[in-house]
Amino acid sequence: MSSSSNTVNAPPVVIPASGNNIVINPLQRGNPVLECIRNVGKEFGDIVADYQVGRTTGVLYLSLKYHRLHPEYILTRIEKLGHHYNLRILLILSDISEHKEPIRELTKVQDLLCSWPSGILPPFKACLINNITIIVAFSYEEAGHYLTTFKQFEFKPPDMIKERVDKDYHSILRTTLTSISRVNKTDVETLRTSFGSFANIAKANPDQLQNLPGFGQVKVKNIKNAFEKPFRNQA
Amino acid sequence: MTALLSFHKSIIERIHDPATSDLLILARGLGLRKIVCTLMKIYDSPQNLVLLVNATPEEESAIGEELGIMGCRRPGLRVVGYETASKDRQNLYKQGGIISVTSRILVVDMLQSDIPTELVTGMLVLHAEKVTPLVLEAFIVRLYREKNKKGFVKAFTDQPEHITSGMSPLKNIMKELQLRNVHIYPRFHEEIKKSLERRRADIVELSQNMTEPMADIHHAIIQCMTITLSELKRSNTTLDLDDLNVENAYFRSFEIVVRRQLDSVWHKVGPKTKQLVNDLGTLRRLLYYLLTYDALQFHAYLETLIAADNVGSNGGAKQHHSPWMLTDAANMIFEAAKRRCYLITSTSKAPKPVIDLTEDEDAWAALDEAEGLTKIPDQGKRKEKDGRPSWLPDGLEPILEELPKWNLLSEILLEAEGEMIRQESLKKSGALPSSSSNDTILVMTSSTRNCSLLTEFLASMNHAAPPGTRAQAMMLRKLRLYLWWKGELSKGDGKASFGMLDGNQRGADKPYGSGDREELSEALQKKDKEKAQRAQSRRRVRGGGPSGATGTRGEAVVKPEPKEFKLQEMRYEEDGFVEFWKSNEEALHSGQPLELLDDPMTLPDFGSDTLASDFDDNYGLLPPQQTVLIRAYSDDTDDRMLSEIKPKFIVMFEPDMDFVRRIEVYKSSNPGLAVRVYHMVYHDSCEEHKYLAAIRKEKNSFERLIKERGSMLITLVEDRREGSSANDALIKTISSRVAGGRRELNMEPSRVIVDMREFRSTLPSLLHAARLLVIPATLTVGDYILTPDICVERKSLSDLISSFNSGRLYTQCELMCAYYKFPILLIEFEEDKAFTLDIITEMKTYGKANKYPPKKQAGPPSDKPTYSSTTLQSKIVLLTLTFPRVRIIWSSSPYATADVFNDLKLNNAEPDPVKAIGIGADNDPDAGAGVNTAAEELLRCIPGITASNVKKVMNQVENVRELCCLSLTQVQAMIGKDAGKACYDFIHKGDRCACVDGVILI
Repeated sequence: MSSSSNTVNAPPVVIPASGNNIVINPLQRGNPVLECIRNVGKEFGDIVADYQVGRTTGVLYLSLKYHRLHPEYILTRIEKLGHHYNLRILLILSDISEHKEPIRELTKVQDLLCSWPSGILPPFKACLINNITIIVAFSYEEAGHYLTTFKQFEFKPPDMIKERVDKDYHSILRTTLTSISRVNKTDVETLRTSFGSFANIAKANPDQLQNLPGFGQVKVKNIKNAFEKPFRNQA
Repeated sequence: MTALLSFHKSIIERIHDPATSDLLILARGLGLRKIVCTLMKIYDSPQNLVLLVNATPEEESAIGEELGIMGCRRPGLRVVGYETASKDRQNLYKQGGIISVTSRILVVDMLQSDIPTELVTGMLVLHAEKVTPLVLEAFIVRLYREKNKKGFVKAFTDQPEHITSGMSPLKNIMKELQLRNVHIYPRFHEEIKKSLERRRADIVELSQNMTEPMADIHHAIIQCMTITLSELKRSNTTLDLDDLNVENAYFRSFEIVVRRQLDSVWHKVGPKTKQLVNDLGTLRRLLYYLLTYDALQFHAYLETLIAADNVGSNGGAKQHHSPWMLTDAANMIFEAAKRRCYLITSTSKAPKPVIDLTEDEDAWAALDEAEGLTKIPDQGKRKEKDGRPSWLPDGLEPILEELPKWNLLSEILLEAEGEMIRQESLKKSGALPSSSSNDTILVMTSSTRNCSLLTEFLASMNHAAPPGTRAQAMMLRKLRLYLWWKGELSKGDGKASFGMLDGNQRGADKPYGSGDREELSEALQKKDKEKAQRAQSRRRVRGGGPSGATGTRGEAVVKPEPKEFKLQEMRYEEDGFVEFWKSNEEALHSGQPLELLDDPMTLPDFGSDTLASDFDDNYGLLPPQQTVLIRAYSDDTDDRMLSEIKPKFIVMFEPDMDFVRRIEVYKSSNPGLAVRVYHMVYHDSCEEHKYLAAIRKEKNSFERLIKERGSMLITLVEDRREGSSANDALIKTISSRVAGGRRELNMEPSRVIVDMREFRSTLPSLLHAARLLVIPATLTVGDYILTPDICVERKSLSDLISSFNSGRLYTQCELMCAYYKFPILLIEFEEDKAFTLDIITEMKTYGKANKYPPKKQAGPPSDKPTYSSTTLQSKIVLLTLTFPRVRIIWSSSPYATADVFNDLKLNNAEPDPVKAIGIGADNDPDAGAGVNTAAEELLRCIPGITASNVKKVMNQVENVRELCCLSLTQVQAMIGKDAGKACYDFIHKGDRCACVDGVILI
């Protein structure tokens, strides 16, 4: 893992006046993505990445259409990037329909290739990881959204994706029960109104379930399996 | 066991040869199971190892039984499931014989060489129609053929309608199963025709008109479907939705067709289209429910639909209402459905007066009279009219329309009975030779629910009442339960007061359920008994009632709050009422044996245990002349049922093509038996259309298959020898690009360690196809281990969303980062589906091939700055910010994933399975054991259960149900104070049964 000292070593990165702006490489002038970056400030500056969306986060932007024409471009850019930034993102805009091969190639770049001048694969052990995380966007809007969010979330704690936030009883009950396959919202409502509590639903016998409107044999079986089959078996 | 018909014999002759592999496509209802079982009997021997693949648990048990009947008992069919330990499995395989194995287990066993693949005599694959390149069965056949060239594969299907995917579906299936021969036997096959049409069953077709409100609702639902369909077409103009018409929409497969059409753009279609597709399904079900549910239940279902429609998926008010719900037609549905149940006469719904004793007495008197009407019909009917039950709220006039078929059924039963008496007398006089068929009347319905409904109807039917009112008693009871339920529903709507009454559970299960014993604390029970006794002493006790039942089924009437008083009282009343009908039923049973449903086979299906034991204790078996059996259509099991019961009268309550054929087969294989079949259809209804369309569809698909067989290019099965693949790998390895080819050759086959749970997905199969050695293991961290350093967590799109929501992905990434150098998140899209994230409606989507921008354009996100923080994209951003080390692989399909994996593995060290299993397991003794994923999933969703303590819970508690029975202190002892409290509160919120300290007294 590259250390954060890399950032310190970073040569002429313009530290923006206000920390709230996305710093954009002048090369990106005219990119329609710029239009789609909303809610955050933008400024041009001389940086190695295309977009600097945080003190330690740099983004390279690549449109697959362009990549098809100039496959070597991104490699030179990655080389130039060197070891700057702690989190290095390659934002790919998937704007061609034959996306499978290029994305696969770039995935290799993400993990295997390092700063070799051409597309030739280098010896592997030496530079296994290029420290680049790929994000694929499917439209300019989405790409802009990503850039915006990177900036906005720069200092955000990861609470949002951590273990669930407290929600009200109903929605928890709904997510819990719909985790059983074939159980839908209507069924949750039916279960709740006919049995009352989760414990009672768990204890319901198959006949009772079978008799609820909208409950077929398969659904009842799934429910019973989830509630009554042991967690572990010796298989 | 009935004899095989001539066409059965010729089919078996053609396919039994163990040297060949075949695919048999037989029309449904013609006894496919019989053929499979006969084949198994032929192959059964300890020297052979024959595997039965792709059988459902029901089929397994039914086939096992059937084999037992056929005399193949030692050891017969053995079943290998998740519960069988791997040691036992190995032994079992060594012993030989016929073994049915779950596909997932078989794959793992084959990969781990737990099963001697080269010694397998052959494989029988059921449900061949479901085989695609991506399913496990195809993987199994591939693994099997790799090591075993001599064994046979016999595949079977009786669902030609499902063989439709792609240009040449039949060929694809045969290619995947590596088969060369196919035998197609439609109903119109010459041989089948000859053997079946010699003897025709005596069929009486009965066409019943729907009642007026029913016809109205039917019409309105069709109208709604048309609206929804045209809306769907309008919002997806470029799609080929030509064959989306209402006619097709009757079928379940319709949704699949729509989904398939929309799949390529599914992530772009926006919530509205999704809603529309869902609605079509709902409407289709409504049509079916209209014809099978009783009026009250149908109405109740509609109300649930409305209630559920008002709540969005995230609990708040929903943005996208189902469009059909807002139409006039829908209004008509709701109105008419209500009108079938009751009328509200006065607008002011006055609060119910407290029912005092005298009034109560009146009510009982009225009810007694209602009951008395079974004996004195004329009086009873008149009296019932004016004897209005007191529990009815004011201004509510019960209509309680009955399904017209009920009436028809009761008439048929009468007719059959008459016929029986006639024949009896003929027999006595010696005019008729006694036949061996039973005088049993068999009633076939489409679902077990319908079975119990009919049972209830027949049990409480009032013979003398005029048509249309015979089920008044049952309907009244249902109305009462409905009213109680309605109270619950509306209360649930007021989110704040979610807590349910601490009343009795009886009401809870009663609306639709069969009676169950109440679980109560002792103290409460005693109290209830007193109450019950008091209630009994107040009225005339009739028939004694099942003793004990009253005592155990006490009702926990805790001091009712004033505002809840009405409900409380209603329930209280209701209990007496139910008891009352219980005794009433009893009277009916003893008085009129014809109505008694008493079938040892039927009862386990839908009767509750208590009911069954009651029957056995008190009544025992009845002679066949007096029994009416009510069964639901099932699969080939029906064949055996027919041959065992040998009914003389069969009433098909709903049309069913398969069953008609079963009767044909039954009739032909029992030439001496007389059978009369009554076939009931609602005139001009979806039921009729559906029946006819199903016949047409089957015929068409057979014709298509026969055509395809005629012009099929049979693919030569590619030989995949061990040697050749090794050579290929060698060539691959000596790439001069790699360090000028100086690198030492790695002769070890490259391998991937795959988590057991991942065998549900298609990727392992494709990895194997991509020449990687797949090693199954139970992993704690990650799903796939590619090299000692690279660990991959695979997420399909839906997984990704749910595991972001549950926070599971966060923990998984945390773990991966802790143990592996290169943790990778694989976001896998589905083949043929759109390669794009579910784009939020607020965002304009241009991009590739996207000509259908979302319908809703709510302006720039700046309007709602908070909104953007919940999208999937934002969560991905947050994840990368939190775990800068995690790489993401975007894969458009499992095929692409297999390629990427091969890339990543290139020239890296191979992973070590033992080490991989040990990683992150924290000395868990059970690491590597199988788990029940459905239960684990459910458990994880419960508040208080986190990724860190889920293992602990799973080790200490047997299943979720057991968790629900633990006391607060027990739960807290297990997972900590706060978490335990949260967990316990969630589980027991709204409990109606009083559990003192979690100890449940039964």
